[in-house]
Amino acid sequence: MKKILSVLLALLMVLTLAGCGAKEEAAAPEQGGEKIAINMQAFTDEVPGMFNKFLELHPEYAEKYYLNDTITATTDGLYQPALDEALQAGEVDLYVAEGAFISKYSQGDAAAFAATYEDLGIDTNLVKTAEIAQYTVDIGTRPSDNKLVALGYQCNGGVFIYRRSIAKAVLGSDDPAVVAEALGAGTGSWDKFWELAEKCKAAGYKIISGDGDMWHAVENSSKEGWLVNGNHLNLPAEREAFLDQSKKLVDNEYHNDTTDWQEGWFADMKMSGTALGFYGPCWLINYTLAPNCGQDTENSSWGDWAVCAPNIGFFWGGSWILASKDVIGTEKQQVVADFIKWVTLDTDANSLQVKWANGTLNGEGGTPDSVASAVVMASADGTTDFCGGQNVFEAFIPANKLANGHVLTQYDERINALWRDQVKMYAHGQIDKETAIKQWKDNVAAEFDVVVD
Amino acid sequence: MNKFNKRDGNTLVKIFIYIVCIFFAILSLWPFIIMVVNSTRSTFEIQQHAVSFIPSSFLMHNWKVFDGKSFNVGVGLKNSAIIAICSTVLTIYFSTLTAYALVAYQWKLRNAFFTFILCVMMIPAVVTSIGTYQFMYRIGLSNNLLALIIPSISAPAAVFFMRQFMVASFPLEILDSARVDGSPEFRTFNQIALPIMKPAMATQGIFSFVGTWNQLFLPSILLTRKELYTLPVMVSQLKGDIYKVEYGSVYLGLTLTVLPLFVIYFALSKYIIAGVALGSVKG
Amino acid sequence: MTAKVADKKRGFSYAKYGYLFVLPFVLCFLVFHLYPTLRTVLLAFTDCKGLGNTSMNFLKSDVFANFTKILSDDVFKLSLKNTAILWIVNFIPQIFFALLFTAWFTSKRNKIKGQGFFKVVFYMPNIITAATIAILFNALFAYPVGPVNSLLQEWGIIEKQYDFVAHPTSARLIISFIQFWMWYGYTMITLISGVLGINPEIFEAAEIDGANDWDVFFHITLPNLKSILTYTLITSLIGGLSMYDIPKMFNAGQPMNTTLTTSMYIYNKAFSGSYLYAQASAASMILFVLIGICSIFVFLSMRDQK
Repeated sequence: MKKILSVLLALLMVLTLAGCGAKEEAAAPEQGGEKIAINMQAFTDEVPGMFNKFLELHPEYAEKYYLNDTITATTDGLYQPALDEALQAGEVDLYVAEGAFISKYSQGDAAAFAATYEDLGIDTNLVKTAEIAQYTVDIGTRPSDNKLVALGYQCNGGVFIYRRSIAKAVLGSDDPAVVAEALGAGTGSWDKFWELAEKCKAAGYKIISGDGDMWHAVENSSKEGWLVNGNHLNLPAEREAFLDQSKKLVDNEYHNDTTDWQEGWFADMKMSGTALGFYGPCWLINYTLAPNCGQDTENSSWGDWAVCAPNIGFFWGGSWILASKDVIGTEKQQVVADFIKWVTLDTDANSLQVKWANGTLNGEGGTPDSVASAVVMASADGTTDFCGGQNVFEAFIPANKLANGHVLTQYDERINALWRDQVKMYAHGQIDKETAIKQWKDNVAAEFDVVVD
Repeated sequence: MNKFNKRDGNTLVKIFIYIVCIFFAILSLWPFIIMVVNSTRSTFEIQQHAVSFIPSSFLMHNWKVFDGKSFNVGVGLKNSAIIAICSTVLTIYFSTLTAYALVAYQWKLRNAFFTFILCVMMIPAVVTSIGTYQFMYRIGLSNNLLALIIPSISAPAAVFFMRQFMVASFPLEILDSARVDGSPEFRTFNQIALPIMKPAMATQGIFSFVGTWNQLFLPSILLTRKELYTLPVMVSQLKGDIYKVEYGSVYLGLTLTVLPLFVIYFALSKYIIAGVALGSVKG
Repeated sequence: MTAKVADKKRGFSYAKYGYLFVLPFVLCFLVFHLYPTLRTVLLAFTDCKGLGNTSMNFLKSDVFANFTKILSDDVFKLSLKNTAILWIVNFIPQIFFALLFTAWFTSKRNKIKGQGFFKVVFYMPNIITAATIAILFNALFAYPVGPVNSLLQEWGIIEKQYDFVAHPTSARLIISFIQFWMWYGYTMITLISGVLGINPEIFEAAEIDGANDWDVFFHITLPNLKSILTYTLITSLIGGLSMYDIPKMFNAGQPMNTTLTTSMYIYNKAFSGSYLYAQASAASMILFVLIGICSIFVFLSMRDQK
């Protein structure tokens, strides 16, 4: 008995010490005086990082406020429930939503939580002067009162991002024009893609890593979204066709059968990877390819990349920033409004988008990213070592014109996941097409308040 | 000859038994060994050879990656410890008190109450989670550790366990003599009954501790602030940043969450094993 | 005062202390357990849905609409089937090995050395956080590169990497295995203590009669373990039917919801998606009734055989 007690006591002490000693960041501001927490919910550390940079640039705010961020990854759909609960509990000042679920927060079920730009005191005429990509504005406008509630800082037109060395091996050239031609750039069809896939196979390579790489191009180039007429579940023809496209990839071994965001997929980004390329927007380079290319190891593919126009126009992802309506009229309103303006609308040299486009937010040497403001894009330099000195904006600026948000619906994240689950099973010959479609409909209906015809 | 054969057969049987036992022991330990070793290896090494029994030198690197995540494992440890310790204390004390009322006193509804406890034991938390969730939000206990602590005052399974123990081995005569000495009932419970119940309390304490330490469902729907996250909630987000998977740090995170339990378990394994036996014999 | 009370007849005068001492338990139970339970029951008859919505309107035209909706939902039926499969596939080997080890460890003829060590190690997985274990196994079965795939290839058991997590049968087997792996030690220790509680004279008498190990186990040990087996079966049944942590953290119901358990179904309905509180409450009630029926069935069938 004594032994039990002493062990428990010792453990308690260790735990308490660990708890106190570990990181003081949350506790420190409280000790330092009356600093006010700005509560942010995000799914990556990107926007929290921006806020800290913002405080750094604005010492007058840094004296008064500090960031209290909660980051929940979108893996397994964990982020939305966490954000919803926090919104409901009134625990959020700023929050971030991604392309796959922004319309829920700006237009759908959770739109009522958002503060309008008008109420925050941000001049919405800046949208015009900064020439913000129209589709990001459309998605960020709340239909119930036709007011702007969310904007992003990126423009996410997608291109084909390929490995130079593999292009040379397959096509004899790593010139973007040659690869674009071989891929059927601008044709709006997948015909040339399959020819190129066969060529890659003949040379001992794969055209893409997994069917997820193709999916995003299919998903966002379809003419309709998952929901039509309010909440009627819809299966667009292009997305239905993905069943057979995915099966073709598997049957002909055109890809490595990896799943996006999982180990095998990341492995294909390194020098030893065998996939020719990835369909994606500019952020895929910044967040995914560059950090996972094995830089500074003997297996590094840094510099072995290039971008070219895709065979089909699409866009993918992107982050929109929103403020909770609860900050209106509080002492947090000004800092929140200024931060949102700095990120989404400012175009001066100190603005986020200029730094972001040039990859200089955290000092020199970052990878450039395609941003929402056309004014900024016009003067930004997209040259990057990662792509062997190529100016990637040459490909992204035309691609951004094809980005549009009308196919986005509020439950996309989960409905996509459920659809891809069925597609994967069909592609691997586990079920037939009718079963796949029926099961998908049942699964969606089990979780969502939608009408299934 | 005959006898020799029999012994020989016995030895073969014994060897077989040992082989099976050792196989299962390895089965129990193997995943944890992989976990601990991989927490010292780099993502690259893990991708090359997923299995290795030789630790590498990337422990500090993995720690840095893990520490760089938005949540703080120290805070998680603290929250889990607060919830687990407070709940355990409440559970043990009030369960013993309730069980004492069931055993030491004759009252009309006693048997009905006991049957009731048995029935309540059968309701899993998930069944009532929606009501609990809405109720906690209404009374403003969401994002409050108390929401996970106070309800442990009534733990039917613990009362059941305590009652079984008391019925079997509590000397009721001692209460009569306390009464003759003029001891008030409540003091009799605290100063005479509680000490006698120590072994059962220790066992139940360990179960409650491990149970509350490990719970995931309720904390994950009731806590949304990262300063309040418990360790299992953090674990559930460990796969975390999907833009760059750091396997070494995932394994390290898992190791860290398991470590306190390992320490408790191996220090107290004798009591725990005895406790499982104690709880079930009388069940 | 107290002395006077003590003089009174026991069993009458002290009754109030019985009520007094169960009061904290009862109060807490009423507020934090009973009220939420009743609320869940009520919700099942309303149209409550939508994020954070707690206002409820009782259904008027079709009172049982939520129940009919759930009972006609193929996904719900699938989740029940999954839950049953996951539990049964784990429970049969669990009870088999637990009984086997019990027989070995309590056998008088084969004195197994190191029993203490084996018990400690076999029971260990049971105390570890289920979420941790699920993620750990997910990492172990990673595809295409993962510890299990590497080992199986090295040993020449499989030629090509196998995506265990993405195939219904293997994914279910792994989850059942994790349950088995976490619980066989617990069940074994429970059963061993049950055997130790049997009157030793019965065993001695059997030995004198010349019964072998086999006979002793089937004709003496097992019948005497009946109440403990019932206890194990019922607790395992309740735990198994409300299984959540492991399948949720292992692969969140994939592939094709073949590892979606009923608890996960309830969670998905109530705490994500469209926040269909009322429908989820109806599903909870159905699950609860099923657990009740199964428990009573097990209880009665085990008792009747006596």
